[in-house]
Amino acid sequence: MLWKYALRRIIVALPVLLGVTVITYGLIYLTAGDLVPGLQLNPNLRPEDIARIKANLGLDQPFLVQYLNWLGVPWLLHQVGLWPGAVRTGLLQGDFGRSLLDGSPVMSHILERLPYTLELTSLAILVGVIVAIPMGVVGALRRGSPADHFLTSLSVVGVSIPNFWLALLLVLIFSVGAFQLGLPHLPSGGAASSVNGGDVLDRLAHLVLPTTVLAFGYLAVWSRYTRSSMLESLSQDYVRTARAKGMSERRVVYVHTLRNAVIPLVTLIGLELPTLVAGGAVVEIVFSWPGLGRLALERAVGHDYTTVMGLTLFTAVLVIAGNLLADVLYAVLDPRIRYT
Amino acid sequence: MSEHLLQVENLRTEFPTRDGVVGAVDGVSFYLDPGETLGIVGESGSGKSITVLSIMGLVQRPGRIAGGRVLYKGNDLVQFSQEQLQEVRGKDLAMIFQDPMTSLNPVYRSGWQVGEPLRLHRGLDRPRSLREAVSMFRKVGMPEPEQRVQSYPHELSGGMRQRAMIAMGLTTGPSVLIADEPTTALDVTIQAQILELLKKVNAEYNTATILITHNLGVVAGMCERVMVMYAGRVVEEGPTEDVFANPSHPYTWSLLRSLPRLDRDAKEPLRALPGLPPDLTDLPSGCHFHPRCPFRIDRCVDEYPPLAAVLPAQRAACWVTQAGVDLNRAGAIVG
Ligand SMILES: Nc1ncnc2c1ncn2[C@@H]1O[C@H](COP(=O)(O)OP(=O)(O)OP(=O)(O)O)[C@@H](O)[C@H]1O
Ligand SMILES: [Mg+2]
Repeated sequence: MLWKYALRRIIVALPVLLGVTVITYGLIYLTAGDLVPGLQLNPNLRPEDIARIKANLGLDQPFLVQYLNWLGVPWLLHQVGLWPGAVRTGLLQGDFGRSLLDGSPVMSHILERLPYTLELTSLAILVGVIVAIPMGVVGALRRGSPADHFLTSLSVVGVSIPNFWLALLLVLIFSVGAFQLGLPHLPSGGAASSVNGGDVLDRLAHLVLPTTVLAFGYLAVWSRYTRSSMLESLSQDYVRTARAKGMSERRVVYVHTLRNAVIPLVTLIGLELPTLVAGGAVVEIVFSWPGLGRLALERAVGHDYTTVMGLTLFTAVLVIAGNLLADVLYAVLDPRIRYT
Repeated sequence: MSEHLLQVENLRTEFPTRDGVVGAVDGVSFYLDPGETLGIVGESGSGKSITVLSIMGLVQRPGRIAGGRVLYKGNDLVQFSQEQLQEVRGKDLAMIFQDPMTSLNPVYRSGWQVGEPLRLHRGLDRPRSLREAVSMFRKVGMPEPEQRVQSYPHELSGGMRQRAMIAMGLTTGPSVLIADEPTTALDVTIQAQILELLKKVNAEYNTATILITHNLGVVAGMCERVMVMYAGRVVEEGPTEDVFANPSHPYTWSLLRSLPRLDRDAKEPLRALPGLPPDLTDLPSGCHFHPRCPFRIDRCVDEYPPLAAVLPAQRAACWVTQAGVDLNRAGAIVG
């Protein structure tokens, strides 16, 4: 049942993905012009050289042909004997092309950076959820109490403070300040120390500050959401039924209320998955974290269009995967959702 | 004084609001004997639900019980701690609610929910509580009980859900079952089935039942005694037959008069009660009912009447009937 539902959702997502490729390719085609920056400025290249380079790259073809080449449609046709001659692989074969800056496959860049981003974002999500849910529950159960007011203020602060500012503040306190005072201090950037580093403890130490910054923003939103969702659940008739059965208030809250309250939260978190990659970019840059966000910035600045394109597509896939994951989780948690 | 199964004495439950304190239950006293069925009727907002929720200790903040006693087998539940109340709720006192659509938890299977009181109060494990749920489902006339325990609430019809609620209330063999408008949300044929079931349960298990309803016909068919509430107070109480034959409070009288009856002349118009239910933050002086009362005398505007015997088995809070006036006769004149 569930896998069928997931499969159906994936099939429905395919046209969306295709649309994303058209738009991505179209945008780059329109904005990047020649696609090969500075070619005309090179005095050693004759016009016919430039023409040859472009022909090699397939840039002399009309847009549609270029797009289909990039997708790898000819390669597919070639496999079934409908296309003569050898052709290059494309997107459909998982080939994102090569970087315009260094000529290495875009995919290898992405795969090299991906683990760092995943490490950081999944830890931040985990911390966010683990802290946000109890925060929201406490806020809902003690509505109007000093604890609730404190948590509310904390959330407002969390939403209002820009990531980069909080990052700099934390670096100032826990790296620079602590160092100057001769206290144990946390590293201010990178994923591991280059000297005598790289063991688990060292890597964890590097994760502390960026994770904190990332988690803080999400925690603020999610805890508010949990709070209002809890309040909503607590006012439901089935909670009164639960109380009438004579169970502890603890059981009322954790067995009969929380499960219902977190269902909508799951969707929210699923939708946040991709923005954590993008939103993580600022944090990655401040902390010199070698993840996808920083890669995107470096390559955008360096006019590495193919890599930027690859990253855009990759993010789009993440968006769709996040949605799908949220829907499937939702269906698992809420029996009222039918897998159709 | 003989000991009743449940005896409520001068119960008061308040809600602080912006417009002042609302006395939702304002000095309510009544009793319930083993195996009997007591009906509570009254307009919307008259405090029926809050009365029974107070008995169960289920009034939610900011509401609070401001006074009185709820004696269950001689113990005052008002003085019980939450832990002590948890022992009694769902085991000795069970409650079913108006809307079976929303009263079951949507994310758990019905059998799991029906068996829960047994796991809580009798220490049964899951498989045994599930077997009990199946047999309970059978007793309340649930079709295909083995399959239905595996169903989620949204997979059950309204009638089936209310059967599940009743099964859930009865698993532990409570001595009191409180049903707060158990059929209001159901369609007419299902209503009749559920009421029939409650009657059967009452007879078979000797469970004393408090039945809250707007439907006087239901009271006539189900309840040995009836209690009428108005603005948080009991205005009349007595054996159903007597109250219906000789209503001794003008409010009861007008409720009965607004009821369509087969034995009455079809041309005689039905009369709805004139006026609006009172605002609990701004109650009328004297008898709260006096602005709407066709029998009003001067004393009603100044003084609230006590609930006192009017007929041998019947008590009412009304100066007029306490002075010996028969409302049925006087009503013919008042019109
Ligand atoms: N949470 C609350 N805050 C303030 N007042 C309340 C609250 N709950 C109930 N009340 C007051 O208590 C009064 C009695 O409510 P209750 O639910 O007992 O009425 P009822 O007789 O059961 O009516 P119905 O027939 O509509 O179920 C209401 O008029 C309302 O003013
Ligand atoms: Mg009610």
